[in-house]
Amino acid sequence: MVRLNDLHPEEAHHMRNMGQRFAQLELPPDAWVTPPPLSEATVALVTSAGLHRRDDPPFRFGDYAYRLIPRDVDPAELVQAHVSVNFDRTHFQRDVNVVLPLDRIRELHASGEVGGVSAWHFSVMGANPTPTRLAPAALDMAQRMRELGVDCAMLTPV
Amino acid sequence: MVRPPRALWTSFPLGRPLGVADDPAFQTDVLRSALRLLETAHAPIIADYPHDAPDLVDGSVWACAVELPEPNLSDLEAALRTEVDLLRPWYEESRRRRGRTTVGISGAAPEQIDAVVSFVIACAEGAGFADVPADAVGPSWQHPMPILLRHVVEDLRAYYQEAVAARPGTRPPTQREMHSWIFQETALGRALIEIGHCIAEIGDRPLLMMRGFIIPEGFWADGPSWGAAAREAEPQQSPQDFFRYAQAYLAGEQVID
Repeated sequence: MVRLNDLHPEEAHHMRNMGQRFAQLELPPDAWVTPPPLSEATVALVTSAGLHRRDDPPFRFGDYAYRLIPRDVDPAELVQAHVSVNFDRTHFQRDVNVVLPLDRIRELHASGEVGGVSAWHFSVMGANPTPTRLAPAALDMAQRMRELGVDCAMLTPV
Repeated sequence: MVRPPRALWTSFPLGRPLGVADDPAFQTDVLRSALRLLETAHAPIIADYPHDAPDLVDGSVWACAVELPEPNLSDLEAALRTEVDLLRPWYEESRRRRGRTTVGISGAAPEQIDAVVSFVIACAEGAGFADVPADAVGPSWQHPMPILLRHVVEDLRAYYQEAVAARPGTRPPTQREMHSWIFQETALGRALIEIGHCIAEIGDRPLLMMRGFIIPEGFWADGPSWGAAAREAEPQQSPQDFFRYAQAYLAGEQVID
């Protein structure tokens, strides 16, 4: 999350408003689970970049569903549905890892730092004005992660 | 994200959670710093990542190395098509080198970029935002009007961005540099401003929001681009209610009240 001082004042104002609204959301207590040691843990990536494969149904405006991304996806197959003139897409255009670090997590697995890499990863749309509406998708993703043997989810917000 | 149990705060620009493209060592350091919180944190935490993105401390000034003529504003369509044609070899070079393109979220294939141009020009010339412009034939458009316009514009912007980044002898531009170049030097920028004027003329608040989807803050001369001021003009409507209303409007599901 960029420093607010580095944003255009209008954008910074918007972010402050969002932060104030999110602070008022009624949420359950903080989840806290102690995973196995990282060298034994299987990691899934979850991004709010709105990534999906070209053949997937596109994310709609105000879409609260999620899309699945296979571990060995060809980066050429990925497009980013969550677009904004107020965030930087140029780096994603050069390198998918700046949003979804699949190569990096595979390297950490190969070196033994991470125990495993989930066979599937997850994508939702960012900038949701009512994040609690993502709850059904979050519960479904959690169930799928359990079935995949995932121990921890690494979220990359966009 | 809302209250994740372990979070790593970074200073990177929005849209770049791992910091910088094509720098595996930096990306790995960010990822490792976040994952290690699994072993070091004993209660919910937001830890600070100590480094800024390395490309932002460069200090150099980017200039577009693809020479484009000064846009002839008396014939915006010809000017835009000239730009797209001049950029085409560099776009193709980028696609070949990277093995991928991000053009296509509107439903237009990269080979259909001329239909994307027709779409943008029609909207800039006052065709309205209720229906897909009659000239924009060919692509299997993936979204309803008027929100489709946002995706069409992003495809054209991606085409420009990928093209100019392919030119050798220059570092890739930042997003802000791309915006400055597009809005100060290209026919694309001029067309987007014209669309902004068409939106302002109609004046529907969700459409003002749409203007902010295609023109970044700081590049609309008459104030906030995305219409936040217009939204705040009706304080009895909560932001969530406005968004739901705007969502239906922009998805073509509801006419303006």
